[in-house]
Amino acid sequence: MAETLIWLIAMPMAGAVATLLLPRQSTPIACVTAVAASLVAGTLLYAVSEQGSLSYEIGGWSAGLGIALRADGLSALLLMMTALVMLASSVYAGTYFTKAAARARFWPLWLLLWTSLNALLLSGDLFNLYVTLELLGLSAVALASFGGKFAAVQAALRYLLLGLLGSMMFLAGVSLIYAGYGTLDLATLTLAVEPEPVAWTALALMSAGLLLKTALFPLHFWLPPAHASASAPVSAVLSALVVKVAFYLLVRLWMDVFADLVTPAAAGLLGVMGAAAILWGSWQALRTERLKLLAAWSTVAQLGYLFLFFPVLLALPPGPARDTAFGGLVILALTHGLAKAGLFLAIGIIQQRSGHDRINELNGTAQRLPATTFAIALAGVALIGLPPSGAFLGKWQLLAGSFASGQWLWILVTIAGSLLAAAYIFRVLGHAFGNQSYPRHSVTIAREEWPALILTTLAVAGLGLAGAPVWNLLESGA
Amino acid sequence: MTAMLVLDILLVLSLLSLATAALATNDARRSVILFMAFGLVLALAWGRLLAPDVALAEAAIGAGLSGALLLTAVRDQAHRALRSSRKPVHERGRANLRVTLEWTVTLLCIALAGLLAWALAQAFDRAPKDTLAQAVSANLAISGVSNPVTAVLLNFRAYDTLLELAVLLTAALGIFALGPARPGHRAAGPVFDGLARWLVPALILTAGYLLWVGAHAPGGAFQAGATLAAAAVVLRLAGRRSVGLPTGHTLHVAMVAGVSMFLAVGLGLLVLGRPFLGYPPAWAGGLILLIETAAMLAIAATLVLAFFGGRPTPAPGVAEKTS
Repeated sequence: MAETLIWLIAMPMAGAVATLLLPRQSTPIACVTAVAASLVAGTLLYAVSEQGSLSYEIGGWSAGLGIALRADGLSALLLMMTALVMLASSVYAGTYFTKAAARARFWPLWLLLWTSLNALLLSGDLFNLYVTLELLGLSAVALASFGGKFAAVQAALRYLLLGLLGSMMFLAGVSLIYAGYGTLDLATLTLAVEPEPVAWTALALMSAGLLLKTALFPLHFWLPPAHASASAPVSAVLSALVVKVAFYLLVRLWMDVFADLVTPAAAGLLGVMGAAAILWGSWQALRTERLKLLAAWSTVAQLGYLFLFFPVLLALPPGPARDTAFGGLVILALTHGLAKAGLFLAIGIIQQRSGHDRINELNGTAQRLPATTFAIALAGVALIGLPPSGAFLGKWQLLAGSFASGQWLWILVTIAGSLLAAAYIFRVLGHAFGNQSYPRHSVTIAREEWPALILTTLAVAGLGLAGAPVWNLLESGA
Repeated sequence: MTAMLVLDILLVLSLLSLATAALATNDARRSVILFMAFGLVLALAWGRLLAPDVALAEAAIGAGLSGALLLTAVRDQAHRALRSSRKPVHERGRANLRVTLEWTVTLLCIALAGLLAWALAQAFDRAPKDTLAQAVSANLAISGVSNPVTAVLLNFRAYDTLLELAVLLTAALGIFALGPARPGHRAAGPVFDGLARWLVPALILTAGYLLWVGAHAPGGAFQAGATLAAAAVVLRLAGRRSVGLPTGHTLHVAMVAGVSMFLAVGLGLLVLGRPFLGYPPAWAGGLILLIETAAMLAIAATLVLAFFGGRPTPAPGVAEKTS
C-alpha cells in the first residue's frame, strides 16, 4: 500500500515526459494520466482511513539519511482535493485551448505542477520541501504566463520574483535548522526541537517565506493580477491549490513540528492579518468591475478565514475541542478549493462565450448559460458559507471556537466578511439575469460546463451533507 | 596558521567589498562584471571551507554561466533603452522615492544578516550534530561511489536530485514560452575564432572527465553539464549559430533525458520488487553513471537554452527577422 505514495509523484511526472515526447497524442495521454492519478489518490485516501498514516522510505534508506514520504489524514484529504480539481480542470482545459499546438505546450507544465503539488503534500523532509516549493513556484509561473498576453507575462514575472524571495527565506530557515539540530526529517525534528533562539528564528524565516507564497494580507498584492490574468484552468488551479499547499505547510509547521514554540501572541498576529485580509479582500471584490478579479480578491479574503483558526485553535485546550475545530479548518480549506476552482472554470466559460468578463454587462447570462450561472451560484453559496455547504460547517466551528475562548473580534470579522461575500455574489447574479427567454436544455455545452458544476456541487452538497468522514479521517490518520 | 588566517581575512574583505561595489554602482554592465568577480572569490571561499564540489559548481554556474546570462540581459536592456529614451515627468520625486526605497531595503537586509549571524552563532554553540555525516560514511561502501557528495546526491537523497531535474525541465519549458531565440552573434575575428577552436574541445573533454571522476572525487553531472554548456556559449559568442543544440523533437529528448532516465531506473527497480531508486549495491555504480550521463545532457541543454533566451528555430535567418 505504501507504494501509492511514490506512484502519486511518479505518475504525473511520467505523464509530463510522455506528453512532451509525443505532442500529437498529448491530450489523450494527459487525460489518462489525470484519471489514473486521481484513482491512486482515492486509493490512498481509503488506505489512510483504514490503516492510519502511511510512510515510504525512498531508496530504502532510513529517514534522516534518506528522504521519507508520509501521508496522514490531512495530507490524504488535500491530495484528494488536488486530484478532483486537477481532473476537472484537465477536462475543461482540453476544450479551453482550441489549438492542438497550444495544448501540446500546455500539458507538460500542467502535469509538472501536479507533480509538485503531490510531492509537497507527501514530503516528510525539510530540504525536500524546499525543492518541491521551487518546482511548484516555477511551474505555476510558467503556467500563469501561458497565453502570452503582456499583462499576464508582467504579472507572472512579479509572481516569480516574489516567489523566489519566499523560497530563499524558507531555505535560510531550513539551513538554520540543519545547523542547530543536524536533521532535516520532520518526524525526528518534531521530537528534537526546543523553544530556543535557533528554532524561533528558523520558524520565523520559513513562515515569512510561506506567508508571501500563500498571499496573506499585506503580502497579497501580487495575487489578484497574477490570478486574474492567467487562463481560466490555470487561474482555477492557482487559486484553489497553489496558495493552499503553502498554507498546508504553515499548518504542518505551526501545529505539528514546531507546536511547542507557538505563542498566543504569534498566533494572534496571524489572526489579525487574516481578519484584515477578509475585510480588505471582500471589499475589493465588491468594488471590482471584472469577474476574474472578483474571484481573485475573494481568494485573498477566503485565505483570511483559514488564518483566523490559528488563534482560536491555540486558545482551545488540546483534546476533542481542538480536534473538532481543526476539522472545521480542514473542511473550510477543502470547500474553498472545490468552489473557487469551479467558479474560475465557470467564469472562463462566460469569458469565452461573451468575449469579456465585465460584471455590469453580464445581462442575460442566466438565459444563455443556465448551468454555468447555477455553478456560479453554488460557488457563491460555498464562499458565503450558507448551509448546506462545507464552508458552513467550517465557519460554524470557527464561531463556536471563538465563543468558547471569548475572542469576540473574530466573530465580528467573520459575520462582516460573510455579509460582504453575499453582497459581491448577489451583485454578479443580479446582473446575470435578464428579460430573455430560457433555452429548452439547461446544460448547453456539456463538456465545458460539467467540470464547474460537479466541483461546486461537491463543495456545497458533498462536503456539507457528508462532512463527518473528514473528522473521522483526521482522527484515524493522526 | 597565521598565513591561512590572513588569507581568510583577505577573502572575507574582498567578498564584502565586491558585493558592496556591485550593488552600489549605477552601471548595470559594471555591476554584472563585479558580480562575476564576486562569484569567483566565493568559489575560492568554498575551497577554503573544504567544499571543492560546491566551489566547482559556484565557479561554473554562479560566476560563469549566470554572468554570461546577465551580460546578455544587460545588452538587450541597453538596446531597448536606446529605442525608448523618454524622460519621466516627475523625475525628481521618483529619484527621492528610489533612494528611500534603496535605503530601506539595505537596512532590512543588514537586519536580516544580523539576525541570521546571531541565530547561527547560537546553533554552533549547541553540541555538534554530525550524526548525518557519520551515517553517510557508514553507508558509503554500499552506495556504489566513493565520493560522499555524489553518494548523497545520486543515492541517499537521489529523490531531491530527481525533483531538481524536474525544476530544470520546467525552466526549459518556461524559456520556450518566451518565443524564438534571440539572434546570434556576429562571426568572431581570427584571434577569438582560433581560441574557440582550442577551447571548445578542451571544455568537452573536461566535461567528460568531470562526469567520470564524480564517482570518487569532486565533480559530477551538474559541473559536467555546466562545462559542456560553457563550450556551447563560447561557440555561440564566436558566431556559430546552432552550437550543437538540436531543435524540435531531438531537443525535447535531450531536455527530458535526466528526468526520464531517473524515472526509468526508479520505477524499473520498483517493478523488480526493490524500493523506488533503491539500487542493489552491486549495480549502484553503473546505474549512477547512467543517470548522471543523461542528467549532464539535460543540464547542458537547459543552460544553453537559457543563454539562447528562447526556442531555437531550425531554419537559419528566421530568428533574426522576428526579433
